Amino acid sequence: MSEGWIRTSVGGFYLDVAWEVAPGEVLVVYGSSGAGKTLMLRAIAGLLKVHKGYIEVGGTVVFDERHDYWLPAHMRNIGYVPQNYSLFPHLSVKKNISYGLFDLTPTQVDHRVDRLLKKFNLVDLKDQLPHHLSGGEQQRVALARALAPEPKLLLLDEPFSALDIQTRRHLRSELSNLLNFSNVPIILVTHDHDDALVLGDRILVIDSGRVIEQGDPLELLGRPSSLIFASLIGIENLYKGFVLSRSAYNGTMLCKTHDITLEVPIAEIAEGDIVNIGVRARDVLIATSYPYGLSARNLIPGEVISLEMDSNGIEVSIDVGVLVRSRVTQEAARDLHLGPGTKVWVIIKASSCFLVDGRAR
Amino acid sequence: MLFPIIALLVKAVGVDDFLPTLSSKIALDALRLSLFSSAISMIIVILVGTPFSYFLARSRLPAIRIVDIFVELPLVLPPVVAGLAMLMVFGRYGLLGRWLEPFGIVIPFTLVSVIFAQVFVAAPFYIRAARLGFQMVKVEYEELSQTLGVGPLQTFWKITIPLAWPSLLGGIALAWARAISEFGATIMFAGNFPGRTQTMPLAILSALESDLSVAIIMAGMLIFVSFLLLTILGFLRIKSGD
Repeated sequence: MSEGWIRTSVGGFYLDVAWEVAPGEVLVVYGSSGAGKTLMLRAIAGLLKVHKGYIEVGGTVVFDERHDYWLPAHMRNIGYVPQNYSLFPHLSVKKNISYGLFDLTPTQVDHRVDRLLKKFNLVDLKDQLPHHLSGGEQQRVALARALAPEPKLLLLDEPFSALDIQTRRHLRSELSNLLNFSNVPIILVTHDHDDALVLGDRILVIDSGRVIEQGDPLELLGRPSSLIFASLIGIENLYKGFVLSRSAYNGTMLCKTHDITLEVPIAEIAEGDIVNIGVRARDVLIATSYPYGLSARNLIPGEVISLEMDSNGIEVSIDVGVLVRSRVTQEAARDLHLGPGTKVWVIIKASSCFLVDGRAR
Repeated sequence: MLFPIIALLVKAVGVDDFLPTLSSKIALDALRLSLFSSAISMIIVILVGTPFSYFLARSRLPAIRIVDIFVELPLVLPPVVAGLAMLMVFGRYGLLGRWLEPFGIVIPFTLVSVIFAQVFVAAPFYIRAARLGFQMVKVEYEELSQTLGVGPLQTFWKITIPLAWPSLLGGIALAWARAISEFGATIMFAGNFPGRTQTMPLAILSALESDLSVAIIMAGMLIFVSFLLLTILGFLRIKSGD
């Protein structure tokens, strides 16, 4: 178990976080760049002196401001994998991994390094220097090196930030498998919500140095309950409106936002109250003619304004009286002959809409 | 640049008394003194200059720029001025000298003053190169080393020094070459006493007044020794992967 809290100010930036992570658990610290994620990791690792706080790692107190106790980084037994891996450029893969094993006998060192080389599939690369390795191989070496001294806590700072999308996807699942082997508590920092979903057992969302949400990644990322978090994770459609009517029978309520009415899941909110409604672009369907016989509750006519292609497909912007963003594949956009000016119907299931912030006053 | 050196070497080898002069007491004494004093100077420069350059490289204090100016001053100062300045400090009536003399400590015109003069003029060359070398070593490597349980001092030995090694060797080569060829500050501060403070450059000056060919042979010797030193250090740099 590792737990703690920190309250500090670094160059005018205020950091106020608390955490708890159990053995074998991956706690994802999620936030945009500049949110204070790396500062938090550096403070835990002992690379940054903080003003106030308490940090316990594997039952050992490493920082206690009340007793003026601060253990330097080399005495904390915390594994750290920074963003760029920082493999020692003058040492081979094997020497990088054995670097922190200075208090073992040569036989013990060989035994442990061989075990890690096998586990991380690095046997053939053991004599290579880091600059000969691919991004993925470097990541495996960095991880093996951090785990070699058997740390009581492992800190991973944006482990995929230096990689392209393809490698990122591949390594994410590879890392997930490797982490399953380990019983070390892990704190992983990321600004990518796919990392959080695939790797995290729990998520801690921080913004401007403060914790704004925490809980189950699937639950939080799927249905963010605060506006800051919703915009942080890039919920494409966020609307402010008010409750027109409630139907306990259907389990839904009608909300008016701009010129449209949306049917959304019912909540403990009175008629007339103001609400923030979120819909993910991937939950918005498009039809080029009126779709008969559908169970979806929200069918709104509109006109395509623009199409933007990115690595995840095409984002279609549609004017329905308010801007709605939908995510479709390239093939779907081609089949539907989508282009600026195309008349379409926007289809949103009531259950795909969620309330952000409960209510907004 | 190469032409005067070749001309001097050709002339030196062509002198009739080449071998006897080469092995004469005065030449060997001067050579021994030059090598010994410059070696001691380099040990001092490395021992003091390495942590100091590291401090300069890692410091973020604005006042460091002022320290920089003082460190690099000997590079632009005429060596004679440097010698004179050292006399003002360690001379019989100098700032420190007047306090040292009652204890029987006299520095000017001794081997110690030769070493002081060499350290004064050579140290900036080493400190500049070492500082640049340390600046090129990313702080992240040092931090990572510490998260692996290795303390700051051990990290310095195991990570910082090996990564800055080519620059350090480059600095040693330049500083040693400067120390061994030091003339102006030495003659001002240490004098020109054969066997005691007369290094090779001073011996060449003395020989010049009596016998040109002896001066030429000793100059050739000095070039050869400097060349040998730079070659060895250059080879070590290549070996360390610069």
